[in-house]
Amino acid sequence: MDFLGEGLRRAVALLLSGDGEVYGIALLTLKIGVIATVLACGLGIPVGFVLATRPFWGRRAALTVVNTALAFPTVVVGLLLYGLLSRRGPLGGVEWLYTWQAIVVGDVVLAFPIAAALAAAAVQGVDPRIRRTAETLGAGRWRTAWTVAREARFALAAVITTAFGHVVAEIGSAMTVGGNIRGQTRTLTTAVALYTSQGDFGLALALGLILLLLALLVNVALQTLQGRGHA
Amino acid sequence: MLELVAVRHRYDGRVVLDIERFAVAPGSGVAIVGPNGSGKSTLLRLLALLERPSEGEVRLDGVVVAGAKAPRAGARRRITLVEQRPLLLRGTVRENLEFGLQVRGIRRTEVNRKVENIAARLEIASLLHRRRHELSDGEVQRVAVARALAVEPDVLLLDEPASSADRAAAQTLYRALAEERARRPLAVCLASHQLEDAYRWADDVRALAEGRLSPVTPENLFRVELPSGGGDLKHVCVGTIEIAAATDKTGPAILAVPPTDIFVSREPLASSARNVFTGRVTRLTHQRPGAVLVTADVGVELVAVVTEEAARDLGLTPGGPVVFSFKASAVRVF
Repeated sequence: MDFLGEGLRRAVALLLSGDGEVYGIALLTLKIGVIATVLACGLGIPVGFVLATRPFWGRRAALTVVNTALAFPTVVVGLLLYGLLSRRGPLGGVEWLYTWQAIVVGDVVLAFPIAAALAAAAVQGVDPRIRRTAETLGAGRWRTAWTVAREARFALAAVITTAFGHVVAEIGSAMTVGGNIRGQTRTLTTAVALYTSQGDFGLALALGLILLLLALLVNVALQTLQGRGHA
Repeated sequence: MLELVAVRHRYDGRVVLDIERFAVAPGSGVAIVGPNGSGKSTLLRLLALLERPSEGEVRLDGVVVAGAKAPRAGARRRITLVEQRPLLLRGTVRENLEFGLQVRGIRRTEVNRKVENIAARLEIASLLHRRRHELSDGEVQRVAVARALAVEPDVLLLDEPASSADRAAAQTLYRALAEERARRPLAVCLASHQLEDAYRWADDVRALAEGRLSPVTPENLFRVELPSGGGDLKHVCVGTIEIAAATDKTGPAILAVPPTDIFVSREPLASSARNVFTGRVTRLTHQRPGAVLVTADVGVELVAVVTEEAARDLGLTPGGPVVFSFKASAVRVF
């Protein structure tokens, strides 16, 4: 128990002292998390809308693919990306391997099916009369989609929160394609793994606390936004 | 003119609507009457271009607007549907009334004028600032009708518009519709299971049963199983009576007895009619000047129409005895 208490005291001290390395890792994680979430949700939510509202050939198969992709092992995604981005891979020319951009790509691949599948479920949960009402009042496709989205705003906010949570907590892909390079690609999760293995439990715990704090902040921010809306 | 032509519509392979032709003429008032599950709401959704028919076409002024291809958005703006249990969109009642006007790109001042105007006519001005959870079902229904009228469609489709309204609210609703129709050539197609409302309000009443339009008026419709054999004269049980129908059809069918084909008397008549039923008058309804609907319980509820003079001469009164007679050939089978 001393070991845990000591670790916690060290964590608090590091956080209060404004340790540059700790906050640098946290800021990089936040940057990667926000960019990857925006991209994954920006692509995934519209796809979810289409899957939920537009009948087309192969829709059921597409939904199955998206739902299956929810269970993609992060390490496998990292491995595939590694193959694509390595010098001999088809995307080697962009030279993104072991950069934060590579981590973003991996996170987008992992979070996209989450955004698409959950957005489809959120939109399917909206009473179909809402869509029909917007259409019969003369709304076009985009205005109808916006009207439905407003009705599903709580569920769609949960989609964003879940995607962000998944992105910042992911380690397999970030480690494989990011390389955990100090000051460049070291994120909170890869750093926690590293410092734990090195026995620096206090530092690992401090980073873990920041990770929790980030998730908490995003949730509070989204809940505040939702709270401003009325029925 | 809004028309359904050769429409067969299916849900999960099951035919829910089978209509050769149904038309709503400009400025007309059409009521579709039928029991729950008869296909009224589906019919209205097809007319509103919210669903594409599995087979057949929807035409607006002779132009195909839904059929093999997706409904045309421009045509949809000329037709507005108010569903049986309408939903208000997120926001205030005012924002709901503004919605259809805004999507048409109407200027703000004009939007305000139209909203105030329609709110006054539907007596919902005091509700403008309220949100959907602050309204009763009847108020939601009135707001939904106001929201539909605000966009001034050529055709207004109403699915059981008075189902959640009390008597006074229903009167307000029908009065507003009558005023709107007097003001401009608005065609209204209304689905209802209440015959009295339909007759009081519409120029043309059509019956829908199991997805098919009845060739006659909507009273006296019975779902039956026609026996095989027995030649062209079939006897089928309806309630506690047995109706004779001249038909060569067999299997599931709808029987319709036109009220105008029923002879009404106090005593059984010596005639060729195969169907003679004795019972008691349950209701006398003045349908239109000079005509009286006689509803009687003769083992099943049947409706006949007689002149006011005939009703008087026969001394028909609620609770009094009555005999209904009609020929087997008067029974329509479809």
